[in-house]
Amino acid sequence: MSATLDARVEHGPIVSVERFGHLVELTARLPALASAVRPGQFAQLRCSATTVPLLRRPFSVAWTDGDLCTFVLDEVGVGTRLLAAMQPDAELDALGPLGAGFTVVHEAGHAVCVSGGVGCAPFPLLVRELRRAGVADITVLNGAASAAKLYPPERFQRGDTAVHVAEATDDGSRGRHGRVTDLLDLAPAPAAVYACGPNAMLASLAAALDSIGLTRDTVAEASLEAPMGCGFGTCLGCALPVRRADDEAAWALCCTDGPVMRMRDVDWHELSLLPGADVA
Amino acid sequence: MRVDLGRGLALPNPVGLASGTAGYGFELRNLIDLDRLGALFTKGTTRLSRSGNAPPRVAETSGGGLLNSIGLQNPGVEWVATQYAPRFAEWRVPVVVNVAGENEADYVHCVRRLEGVAGVAGIELNISCPNIAHGMDFGRDAGAAARLVEAVRAVTVRHVMVKLSPNVTDIAAVARAVQDSGADSVSAVNTYVGMKIHRRSGRPVLPDGTGGLSGPAIQPLALAAVAAVRAAVTIPVVGVGGIVDAASANDFLLVGAQAVQVGTATFVDPNTALHVLQGITALRGAHTVSG
Repeated sequence: MSATLDARVEHGPIVSVERFGHLVELTARLPALASAVRPGQFAQLRCSATTVPLLRRPFSVAWTDGDLCTFVLDEVGVGTRLLAAMQPDAELDALGPLGAGFTVVHEAGHAVCVSGGVGCAPFPLLVRELRRAGVADITVLNGAASAAKLYPPERFQRGDTAVHVAEATDDGSRGRHGRVTDLLDLAPAPAAVYACGPNAMLASLAAALDSIGLTRDTVAEASLEAPMGCGFGTCLGCALPVRRADDEAAWALCCTDGPVMRMRDVDWHELSLLPGADVA
Repeated sequence: MRVDLGRGLALPNPVGLASGTAGYGFELRNLIDLDRLGALFTKGTTRLSRSGNAPPRVAETSGGGLLNSIGLQNPGVEWVATQYAPRFAEWRVPVVVNVAGENEADYVHCVRRLEGVAGVAGIELNISCPNIAHGMDFGRDAGAAARLVEAVRAVTVRHVMVKLSPNVTDIAAVARAVQDSGADSVSAVNTYVGMKIHRRSGRPVLPDGTGGLSGPAIQPLALAAVAAVRAAVTIPVVGVGGIVDAASANDFLLVGAQAVQVGTATFVDPNTALHVLQGITALRGAHTVSG
């Protein structure tokens, strides 16, 4: 199925802008997106009605409630700052849903979500869909640089007592002092591992999972990011290094082959050599 | 609104999608009604498939620009001729295949391979890609451009449009040279060579240092280039560069372009070309009434 099959441009009013430390939750009335999106898919949001900044910015859909869609953002550049400054009733211009989402496992015992910083964004929706699909319990391992950049546990749990959250911060200001991958011992033998966060975090998670030795049929997927032009597969700008089935090096498009990819398909070494994002 | 560019290439209207911003149409067909547009100019197509450049491949610049260094990622002309063209043949929108190469033999091979293939409405010769080795060699030298067009002319009865590089001292001279050697039309312009510095590292964002600059930032530059080309040739001119709406597209028509291509703005809103078409239609209607 083509990744753009359900996508469309949709305009809807912002209904709330909430802050959780450094993170901002933007909620808008986007009925088509809300009804079509699957966990891990994203929307391309216009940050301005003018041509500066020019490009849309990609955001995972974090939550849906009826006609409403919620996005989580960190104010790291001009686009995210403009979005975070939007007020209720302002019109949000969204293009989505785009990309390949997470594989929702059914009737499984235990699933783990590993989140780094604003990489928390796809997990509330994924957690809800996993529980609806009969996953018995879910552990969210949530890490960030500091407490102010940690998404609150309740935003993953939404009152569901089968969803557990463990936290780690680089500076020790909340949870375990250290990296989110240090928390992996809290979630032994999962049926599925889902991850989203900075490339370095994902690479170290991939290495950790290799050493644990997950079985071949354990779902292990990561949502990646790359500088993106269009978001729907035409500009070919968001190339990521992958290994094909024959182990040949290749490029995959973050926007249509991803953003969610099987962790074993990603060339983590090549990815680690890429320069950091330029978001200024 | 029909635009006859000559030698069998007639566009239902003057608004097309620029090469490199519409792929081969398959993704965009899910998002917009492509068949309402005047033409689709495909991704640059080469003799053999190309996997493209190492990332990062795109970088937004301040002031409404987009730098890219994709590196002509494409499946190769054989795949386009056998797998894509039959699907183009079912569409109402004319599909012009953009052809690129590193030497004359590459171009001639591609154009010959596409000759007689149903679904291909015409050829756009890309002599102006700034992101591959030798990509701009032909576009920078009027003599080399003329010899290339002559060689291609010899193997096709199809419409040959030549996409000009703005990264030259005298674009009018190149336009005249390709006209004199048999080009049926020219499109102007391809991207401008540009650079962006990563503010934290102090190094260029794109791996090769430079990339091709597109987007509204270049519209005044492209417009001046198109005006210069228009003054130099009698064949049709297709204007491209920084169009974001009907007004910025109409500027190109006002300086003498017969048609336009919408490029980077499609990334921002896939409906842009349709909005441009609607706006131009309205402008023409107003002009007819008042004139």
